[in-house]
Amino acid sequence: MIGERSSEITLAHTAKTRNLKTEHRVQKFWFSLMWLFGLITVLILILVIGYVLVQGGKAVNWELLTTPPKGGLSGEGGISTTIATTFYLVGLTLLIATPLGVSAAVYLIEYAGEQSLSSKFLRTMINIANFAVETLAGIPSIIFGLFGYVLFVSTLKFGFSLLSASLAGACLVLPTIIRTTEEALLAVPDDYRRGSLALGATKWQTLSRIVLPAAMPGIITGIILSVGRVISETAVFYVTLGGSYRLPTSIMDSGRTLALHLYYLAMDTRAFDKAMGTGAVLVVMIFLINLVINLISRKLTAGVRKVR
Amino acid sequence: MNDSKLVTINYSLYYGNFQALKDINIKIPENKVTALIGPSGCGKSTFLRSFNRMNDLIPGVRTEGSVLLDGEDLFKMDPVALRQNVGMVFQKPNPFPKSIFDNIAYGPRVTGLKDRHKLEEIVERSLRSAALWDEVKDSLGKSGLELSGGQQQRLCIARALAVEPTVILMDEPAASLDPIATLRIEDLIHKLSENYTIVIVTHNMQQAGRVSDYTAFFYTDETRAGQLVEFDETKTIFTNPSDQRTEDYITGRFG
Repeated sequence: MIGERSSEITLAHTAKTRNLKTEHRVQKFWFSLMWLFGLITVLILILVIGYVLVQGGKAVNWELLTTPPKGGLSGEGGISTTIATTFYLVGLTLLIATPLGVSAAVYLIEYAGEQSLSSKFLRTMINIANFAVETLAGIPSIIFGLFGYVLFVSTLKFGFSLLSASLAGACLVLPTIIRTTEEALLAVPDDYRRGSLALGATKWQTLSRIVLPAAMPGIITGIILSVGRVISETAVFYVTLGGSYRLPTSIMDSGRTLALHLYYLAMDTRAFDKAMGTGAVLVVMIFLINLVINLISRKLTAGVRKVR
Repeated sequence: MNDSKLVTINYSLYYGNFQALKDINIKIPENKVTALIGPSGCGKSTFLRSFNRMNDLIPGVRTEGSVLLDGEDLFKMDPVALRQNVGMVFQKPNPFPKSIFDNIAYGPRVTGLKDRHKLEEIVERSLRSAALWDEVKDSLGKSGLELSGGQQQRLCIARALAVEPTVILMDEPAASLDPIATLRIEDLIHKLSENYTIVIVTHNMQQAGRVSDYTAFFYTDETRAGQLVEFDETKTIFTNPSDQRTEDYITGRFG
């Protein structure tokens, strides 16, 4: 009883002596600081994008978009061939990476589990594969470039070419495609698989007719993420694609993507305005792709919500 | 009980080292409803899944003894062919994320049927048998997921019927449904038993009493292995069981 009363007294005492005014002032100070830092971050972002768009926008015109670069130190000409090369490279890279990545993910999620039960060796291999995928996702892209240079450009003698670049690019985006596909497959309820098998479908029919269609939105999101990755990549293609500004006419031809062209313009020429213009085109392209990703993933999550 | 559709002989099942079913001998009659009842964990669902070999999908499962379908050992059959003959309805309705039509046409399609006209025929027939046709005939293109829980379960029954099985296994088919939807499913089960052999697992004593012709009571002793205690006509099991444990369970003294 005595203890309780004395603690009551102390509490009443603190309430009186507490300087709420100061405490509110301290709170206001910290909140203002955080608000300020947040504002600075957003401003920096707006500044970078805004600067590129405003400065680059001046150089962007129909002529820039439709004429090929002339090469040389002056940096004259437009960027038409580099836009085309970007699309070629994106297409070719995904053509290689998508079947490989999706198949690998399907194996790891749908088949590896049951097979690893029967063989200890296989179980070890699968663990290594999973670990490798995770590690690869965090490796700096120039490493993929060097690997591509050593293997595809020099050892296999593909030279600086669309083929070398797309193979190296495929290595770069494979972890992304594998991971997103794995997640999409894991999100497909087991009830679907059981339901299909119980109807006398084979495992392959279950996979191709039920599981893959249900996982498709997630798989597509992974592919679109990879598109953005290839468009914005320079390091890998600097050492595998070469730098020819001409339009590649075969997969053995060298070329340069928009991002690579931007790099050359900025480093090797005096055409800084054109570099900014190219940058603006690149920013707009990436912005549009991100917009598409957001729309698709929103559609995807809406679908998932409906299922559950 | 001369026409036995499904027969097990000294059938045991193990999950790794754990014995889940022990020496089960049963003769399930053709074109009747047989209910499997018993407390949780007594192995009745595991036993049910033995008839379409869905236990094969669980790693580490091993069986002893034999299970016969029409006198043939079903562990010697191709599981894919077996499951066309022995359909299954799950506890939680699991329509595919496809249209109502495609849900039902799925089974026939995996067997290779492509003829649109025949598929339409099968879809209508299956939906009629599952007492769902009148509710969905104008919206066959609608997603199966948009139906109510009870409708989804009848869709799953129709989907199973479309493959033209002779046996239908039901694992607590009404456990997630409201009382009205449950009654509709029970009516349906009763009607289907004219043409199909139905084996149903249920936790609900009243349901077992209402829908089944025969009842099998499963129980586990201290070894935790599920055993068949008693199997007889439902009437007999509910009014005059020969085993004390059956009587205790039926009258609600445990479980």
